[in-house]
Amino acid sequence: MEVTVNKQLDAKGLACPMPIVKTKKEIQNLEPGQVMEIQATDKGSTADIKAWAESTGHQYLGTKEHDEVLKHYLRKASADEEKAETKHEDILSLDDLLAKVEGNEEVQILDVREPAEYAFGHIPGAVNIPLDELENRFEELEKNDELNIVCRTGNRSDLAAQKLTEKGFGNVKNVVPGMKDWKGPMNTKQ
Amino acid sequence: MKVAIIAANGGMFDAYKVLNIATAAAASDAEVGVFFTFEGLNLIHKEAHKQLPMPAGTEHYQEGFKKANVPPVEELLGMAQEMDVKMIACQMTMDVMSLEKEHFVEGIDVGGAASFLNFAKDANVTLTF
Repeated sequence: MEVTVNKQLDAKGLACPMPIVKTKKEIQNLEPGQVMEIQATDKGSTADIKAWAESTGHQYLGTKEHDEVLKHYLRKASADEEKAETKHEDILSLDDLLAKVEGNEEVQILDVREPAEYAFGHIPGAVNIPLDELENRFEELEKNDELNIVCRTGNRSDLAAQKLTEKGFGNVKNVVPGMKDWKGPMNTKQ
Repeated sequence: MKVAIIAANGGMFDAYKVLNIATAAAASDAEVGVFFTFEGLNLIHKEAHKQLPMPAGTEHYQEGFKKANVPPVEELLGMAQEMDVKMIACQMTMDVMSLEKEHFVEGIDVGGAASFLNFAKDANVTLTF
């Protein structure tokens, strides 16, 4: 699986606690919302990176193992993300979205999370355009269709919904809260 | 999170127990304080921390340390200093052993039991090694 990241950290060959010590140092160079890949060979690092993310508030996306190298993915937290301040008024609940997906309705879903978040689990058929690329890529989307926008908590998707409405999209719904509570079918990128 | 540690032993294994937890906690944004007392003072002594003894009969682990690429005590100590782990050397033990502040690595504080207690009174985690 190829995952787009903003930064790679080589922690191969290092023993505990060095992988998290290096991670801590390196994440300071990331912007909030950016994704880092940590390559490690310490078998304990999977549990440790996960626990570290929990205690520091960063988002642990997942781990892939390849040729005995563990690749951990983290997304740097941004302070305002957890308290979603919804401004786009047309919203859709996860349950309603699930009903549409399961009802085999023609449903357009735009996932505005980072590619690494998308890779570790997304709604089947959802198109991935990260929020910060939307400005340059919105023309890939069909303006007149109903468009359901999803992210992790409903905050980035709210911004995306506002942006697309400005661009003349007529039927945009912000799916709330977002993938963190999604119970329906999921695909992972292989 | 606030983590308070007492380091009371001076072997190489003791150094790893103390410094691994201290650096991991500091890397997790915890406020960390270590009180070095009795043989624990070896861990921050300028020369002694570079050649800490392994417990008798465990010398064969030397190879395991290399194989697992465990960082030298010196490096971990440097890391702890860099991440602002507060280190307090025990004044009373220093007096008993005729040690002065300049015998220790840079950046340490010297204090007594009350200094540690003042730091530890509202700690979330308290450990003794």
